[in-house]
Amino acid sequence: MRRSLKFGAALGATLLLAAGAARADDVKIGIYSEPSAMDPHYHNLGPNNSFSSNIYDALIIQDENQNLTPGLAMSWEPVSDLVWEFKLRKGVKFHDGSDFNADDVMFTSERAPNVPNSPSSFGTYLKGKTFSKVDDFTIRVTTERPYPLMPVDLSTVSIISSDVGADVKTADFNAGPAMIGTGPYKFVEWLPSDRIVLVKNEDYWGEKAAFDKVTMKPIKSNPTRVAALLSGDVDMIDSVPTADIETLKKTDGVTLASGISNRVIYLHMDRFRDNSPFITGTDGKNPLKDLRVRQAISMAINRDAIVSRVMEGIAIPAGQLLPPGFFGTSDKLKPQAYNPKRAKELLAEAGYPNGFGLTIHGPNDRYINDAKIAQAIGQMLTRVGIKTQIETMPKSVYFRSASRGGPNGEPKYSFILVGWGSGTGEASSPLKSLVHTHNKELGFGASNRGRYSNPKTDKLIEDALATVDDTKRAALLAEATEIAISDLAVIPLHYQVNTWATTKGLKYLPRTDERTSLRSLKKQ
Amino acid sequence: MSIDSEAANLPANLPIEAPVPEKAEHPFRRFTSQYCHSAVAVMGLIVLVAIVLVALLAPWISPQNPYDLGQIDVMDARLAPGETDFTGEKVYMLGTDDQGRDMLSAIFYGLRISLTVGVISGLIALSIGAAIGLLAAFYGGRIDAFIMRIVDLQLSFPAILIALMLLAALGRGVDKTMIALVAVQWAYYARTVRATALVERQKEYISAATCLGLGRARIIFRHMLPNVVAPLIVVGAVQTASAISLEATLSFLGIGLPVTEPSLGLLIANGFEYMLTGKYWISVFPGLALLVTIVSINLVGDQLRDVLNPRLSR
Repeated sequence: MRRSLKFGAALGATLLLAAGAARADDVKIGIYSEPSAMDPHYHNLGPNNSFSSNIYDALIIQDENQNLTPGLAMSWEPVSDLVWEFKLRKGVKFHDGSDFNADDVMFTSERAPNVPNSPSSFGTYLKGKTFSKVDDFTIRVTTERPYPLMPVDLSTVSIISSDVGADVKTADFNAGPAMIGTGPYKFVEWLPSDRIVLVKNEDYWGEKAAFDKVTMKPIKSNPTRVAALLSGDVDMIDSVPTADIETLKKTDGVTLASGISNRVIYLHMDRFRDNSPFITGTDGKNPLKDLRVRQAISMAINRDAIVSRVMEGIAIPAGQLLPPGFFGTSDKLKPQAYNPKRAKELLAEAGYPNGFGLTIHGPNDRYINDAKIAQAIGQMLTRVGIKTQIETMPKSVYFRSASRGGPNGEPKYSFILVGWGSGTGEASSPLKSLVHTHNKELGFGASNRGRYSNPKTDKLIEDALATVDDTKRAALLAEATEIAISDLAVIPLHYQVNTWATTKGLKYLPRTDERTSLRSLKKQ
Repeated sequence: MSIDSEAANLPANLPIEAPVPEKAEHPFRRFTSQYCHSAVAVMGLIVLVAIVLVALLAPWISPQNPYDLGQIDVMDARLAPGETDFTGEKVYMLGTDDQGRDMLSAIFYGLRISLTVGVISGLIALSIGAAIGLLAAFYGGRIDAFIMRIVDLQLSFPAILIALMLLAALGRGVDKTMIALVAVQWAYYARTVRATALVERQKEYISAATCLGLGRARIIFRHMLPNVVAPLIVVGAVQTASAISLEATLSFLGIGLPVTEPSLGLLIANGFEYMLTGKYWISVFPGLALLVTIVSINLVGDQLRDVLNPRLSR
């Protein structure tokens, strides 16, 4: 009896110790936006790419400031005008213990652009590139024209194991069996809208994971997420609500990290239908095709008011597709000044002196204060005579409809609020995806939900993408941006500034790509 | 929520005998004097009348139309109670919400929506429920069993769950919210009416009417219906209160009414985000308005039950 008691006590003490030790390196994170899938190639969307970066490596990895660092490729260089060569890292093991080699890259290059039902495809980064295997650790990528963005494009694509097989489905990733990467963390489980669990990959080739076990909990409600941090339920949150930043700054033990992002919040307008479904009072005409109407809309929007009142100062008014200073942005473009009087005149000139009716569609759980921005824009447009209705919905419904919810898989809405983060950290990314004519085969205009089409910008973008000289390329991109903005292909609103909050012992390095990536979470 | 408990209690409390009017006093006067026995109930009635008046007159007494996007300005967002707008002309008595909406006006209009949705959906549910309940009681047998199993099935689900599923399928909007509320409420009325009508059906006047060869519809609606009205009124009052709170719950969850036309529930939800920052007024005032409305309806409903129940007559 006594012995068993002693044994029990010893066992209890051991268990306690084990539990204590486990707790020290276990981290819980409250995330605002849950990935729409675990499949790293299903949806080219911020939360998905953030999450994939924990499990997977790309050939090249972007650091906090989107500088390129070696990933599964040790080095890369153009061997001729049209061919890039990548030397792959040796001795890398997948989470299932198998070895990484060129076959996995070949497999990924075939699968990533061709995932069925993808709401926003990685084709945008992979179409037009021909991959070939030179030997087990050398890959060559050929393009038809010189392509200077090759390294940055390939830094966006997670490399998966060829062992998962060619007929692997998105569901296989979501359920877990296909989640085999080479990244610093291994996948354990995903319970949608409850939690995602990851554990440390002890065999990681690079800087080892800082924590043994990480649980990510999607907490969509802003006050709940902040309360979870304050109560110690989670150790870190992302997307700190702008309303709570002042309060958190004064809270002991909470560290805030914020930084500007590469994400512009913008409006996209239906430019391809004569009778646009969510426009009323125009006798079947589509006013958004008229430049004067688009200018009126842009002038009717008080960007400073949105930044100061809706965003509580935590954002920057936007005049183009990427904050000035990023590669390929224009020095000439400034945010459109607020001018409701001129907006009304322009509407009258365009033949709509009494305005028209419009519905703005937007997500309510994707961008910082997204639903509130939509409402504020509704106010501003209504005041110049465009009677605006507002419909916001969860991103799971919104993006699918916005991209291909209409007849024949066309975009469903007439006027949408949406955001674009430049995955490449330079101006070609938004230009290529939002401004270039929609062309599924070539991977252009993948998120051009307004179907804007202008041969001039198309040519400039294509030329820029084939210009190796950095100065010349930057000039071409800036020129394309200037034309697109003067034609109001999209109406930029503001650039997001992101804030993360951690409690004692954790430190987050703010990322311009907005990702909440465990690679940037350190122990203090 | 009080729906379940009320519904469960009611059949037991139902009058065995229909109230027999005494000759000495006019029924309405007797009713009035009995109602006025409770000072609290009278207070409740006064408050309720005031709320209904405010809701009816909202477009004329509100400082602004909070649903007209042209009248609200995001520059005035989150002003504290008593602050003026940026031109310094208007005073926001109860402050503004995150879109610069005047809280006072928003509450007036919110009451209007809440009461409209609650009362209209209640009346429709009452009509449907009463008709179905009467039919079940009158015909009995298989029809009765079939209808009551449907009622049982429906009542075994939480109201909020049914409403959530319906709204997920139908989408947002005042009309759709009302459809959802009718769908979750009719069963309570049907069950109440059936229980009362079953008792009535045994009575001699129904047999007499049947012997006279009166049509079924006439017997059901001219003879039985008036005698089951009393419990209906009581259930109606309670159900209206719970419909209002259910609508507020749905709006709070963000699936009821459109964001540009906030009802009380949505106003509370909007302010919820600011609770940690000390901007209490966005949530607290609409919350109080909702509380007062529901309490006053319940006070009136309770007193009606006491007055209309002959077993409790003084």
